[in-house]
Amino acid sequence: MRLFVTFLLLVGLGACAPSVQVLEAPDAPPSTEPDFEPLTEAEIDPPAEADFEVPVLYDSLDNGLKVVLSVDRSAPTAVVATYYNIGFRIEPRDRTGFAHLFEHMMFQGSENLGKNEFIGLVQSNGGVLNGSTRFDFTNYFEIVPAHTLETMLWAEADRMRGLDVTQENLTNQQGVVSNEVRVNVINQPYGGFPWLDLPQLANENWYNAHNFYGELSDLEAATLEDVQAFFDTYYAPNNAALVVVGDIDVEQTMDWIEEYFGGIARADVPAIPDLTEPVQTAEKRSSKVDSLAQRPALAWAYHMPERNSDAYFAMGLLSEILLGGDDSRLHQALVNEAGVTSNVSGGINWPLGNMFNYNGPMLWSAWLIHDAETAPDSILAMIDAELARVASEGVGREELERAKVAVRSGLYDTIGGTFGFGRADLLAAFALFDDDPARINTLVDRFGAVTPGLIQRTAREVLRDENRSVITLEAAGGGS
Amino acid sequence: MIRLASLFALALLLAGPAVAQDFPSTPPEPGEPQPFEIPEGETFTLDNGIDVTLVPYGALPKANVLAVVRVGNVDETAGENSLADLLMDLLQEGTTSMSAEEIAEAAASMGGSISSSAGLDQASVGGRVLAEFVPDFVRLTADVLQNPAFPADGLERARRNRLRGAAIARSQPGTLALAAFRRAVYGPDHPYTSVILPVAADIEAATVEDVQDFYRANVGPARTRIYVVGQFDEAATEAAIRDAFGSWDAPAMAADPTPPTASVGRQVVLVDQPGAAQSNVIVGIPTIDPAAEAQEVVELQVTNALLGGSFGSRITRNIREDKGYTYSPGSSVSSRFRDAYWAETAAIVTESTGPAITEIFNEIDRLATEAPTEEELEGIQNYLAGNFVLQNSSAGGIAGFLAFLDLHGIDRDYLENYVERVYDVTPEDVRETTAERLSAGDMTIVVVGDRGVVEGQLGEFGEVDVQTLD
Repeated sequence: MRLFVTFLLLVGLGACAPSVQVLEAPDAPPSTEPDFEPLTEAEIDPPAEADFEVPVLYDSLDNGLKVVLSVDRSAPTAVVATYYNIGFRIEPRDRTGFAHLFEHMMFQGSENLGKNEFIGLVQSNGGVLNGSTRFDFTNYFEIVPAHTLETMLWAEADRMRGLDVTQENLTNQQGVVSNEVRVNVINQPYGGFPWLDLPQLANENWYNAHNFYGELSDLEAATLEDVQAFFDTYYAPNNAALVVVGDIDVEQTMDWIEEYFGGIARADVPAIPDLTEPVQTAEKRSSKVDSLAQRPALAWAYHMPERNSDAYFAMGLLSEILLGGDDSRLHQALVNEAGVTSNVSGGINWPLGNMFNYNGPMLWSAWLIHDAETAPDSILAMIDAELARVASEGVGREELERAKVAVRSGLYDTIGGTFGFGRADLLAAFALFDDDPARINTLVDRFGAVTPGLIQRTAREVLRDENRSVITLEAAGGGS
Repeated sequence: MIRLASLFALALLLAGPAVAQDFPSTPPEPGEPQPFEIPEGETFTLDNGIDVTLVPYGALPKANVLAVVRVGNVDETAGENSLADLLMDLLQEGTTSMSAEEIAEAAASMGGSISSSAGLDQASVGGRVLAEFVPDFVRLTADVLQNPAFPADGLERARRNRLRGAAIARSQPGTLALAAFRRAVYGPDHPYTSVILPVAADIEAATVEDVQDFYRANVGPARTRIYVVGQFDEAATEAAIRDAFGSWDAPAMAADPTPPTASVGRQVVLVDQPGAAQSNVIVGIPTIDPAAEAQEVVELQVTNALLGGSFGSRITRNIREDKGYTYSPGSSVSSRFRDAYWAETAAIVTESTGPAITEIFNEIDRLATEAPTEEELEGIQNYLAGNFVLQNSSAGGIAGFLAFLDLHGIDRDYLENYVERVYDVTPEDVRETTAERLSAGDMTIVVVGDRGVVEGQLGEFGEVDVQTLD
């Protein structure tokens, strides 16, 4: 659910972008107005060694815009990330897929930048950009040479001030998004499986359980009035966080942000609706037929414990222990020993994010592709055996330590991922959802505090059949 | 001086904190670019011929360790399809002293995992671990690469996984389009074609002996290069590399892959996908490879970025932002050893397949006859220069780019001169490059889509060759 597939790296080899996966986050008491303290050297230039800390400067403008700055002098680049506190979860009920369609409209023109001009401005300044829509936020980001930072701040402010789009622009993007759904879901084997399907099965609350990509009929029904109303309701500075990461002068950057964003009026943003999920009391099963797939597949999900609770951190480690790497229990059992699949993929808020960048009910989910001669129930029995083993025997200290190393290492990759965008993403999520971006530096400790006992208790509590949803995919695409 | 200073103060005053109505209507000009030297690190050669490059880089306490071996699918002969992949799968199945599980656990305890995978021309073995474990991970990588156990049960698993992958590849319309395009350009038998839809019979027939023979013929120090990029203890890492790789025996082996003979000229290939909601289209042509004269390579890259290879490019603006035919169009220069083609790829709503192809050709023809403006070109030059910094601002990006240069035998001063070369390209160079290298009339068109709807739309481009893929 992105504005476009990434064009990244036209030069030479398409180097592999590290995939983001990881855990974390401590519970911090929500602070009130953050203070603007003078920067220390350590905040400006992080220590390069061992105890890695992300420098975090947090402030907010009078209009409520949250601002996070984080210096990284590795290369003369800067990331500008604007996050709005509106995800696809809470889009209008008769307009499924609208939050994402709206994301596209943010590139169709504002007062001072006509259609194509925003993208042209970023590109011609040597940058890349994208936008994406997720459960609880919609983001827009540019990764640019550091000396063009002011230009980008101006451009982001211009479209936060207001859109200037036409029916022609809307019709065009309805076509583009419909094609996005076709290429990613309708004309794709395993399209939308299981990431669109599992929330619809596992959740009861409409906000968590509808089709986030949207029905094509709903997409086609959207009007310019819908676009304006959505903007007026959610795209206000007091419903947003602006993060700048990179080789920047922090005081100059704050001045620019004040200059360009300071004059944007705040708005009355409606409270987020009740997203609560009822406790699941019985296992749910469903199946779907995939007319393109040549091999069947199996997916499963468990409801996560509350975000930032002790059990949540334990689930982060359990996810690593069960399916994090080649050494994980499910990989060893299903891939190495039984050989029923090539790979087990999954995680928390997977694959649309990580365990940090959401704010509401969430699933721990996974899936695999198997051969027709292997019955899905026999694979489920193997999975059950592994989960039951954790619940009855717990995990050893050594295995838990390995998971903690993996989580810490993965967190560094998240922070460093996509040219610093990964760092901006975490800071934005923690600013938007917890009002505390400095949480980024408490995550390792929070995982570190998880004990084998907590792991076992969490496994017993979460990894129960009654808390599970399972979808089997039948391959109707022929072939061998 | 005083006058300058007061002018400056006045400017600040005018620019000061703005209220909404003062919002400037034009973007502020960028500041002065900051210099960025692509870190090249230090390179040395072990006695057995292994080139080693160590590049200290970045703020994160992690490093990439990458052993690149010049072996790939291109080294597979008839009946050996996927053997390079099976070999790489088997490296992880155990060494003479460690089981697969022990390898995975060892890597995990260093904060990473070890991967081994084959590309068309070269394979890579390694991973990304926490800084303090880099020397240990070097030793683990060396063991995996030099002392494989090749267990029979491991091969059985690897074969099943590869067969599953072969089936999945056949269910993906985009992959089918690529297979058809490669077949049209390279013929059916070259590994660059057959790798796309792996041959099940070859995978089923592969034995442990086949894999061992392939390993002995293709894997050794003469074909191996090592890259370590990130934060690590340089002395300890160099010592670990010398110790773990220095005594690896060095049998002679031919180093270079054999490129295919690519055919140029209009072909129109249609693969039927009844009822498809979209047509997966590739329009492309063989072109100069990365080892060609550097300025010409850069001219092609600039031309590509302007024509279809960036979001603001002409083809994308036309068929996505104007017409709404597609979500994900894009062109690129896809390169292998002494071989490359340019191609535009797009998944297009079925009923607009023909019109979208027409628009692609219109854009090519327009650029071939009319040079772009200085302004449009400059925007693309800035874009490429900026992207170049981005690409080389991560440990993985640096390691990958160095490996790319070394495969193609491109001198590393390419890195230093790249940005300058980009800015040396003129509007007329772009027009000429389009006219000479991207001749629309010589382009091959491949469509995977609903024949009943699409075939009639393709007749204007040439005789439609309806193919099935197996």
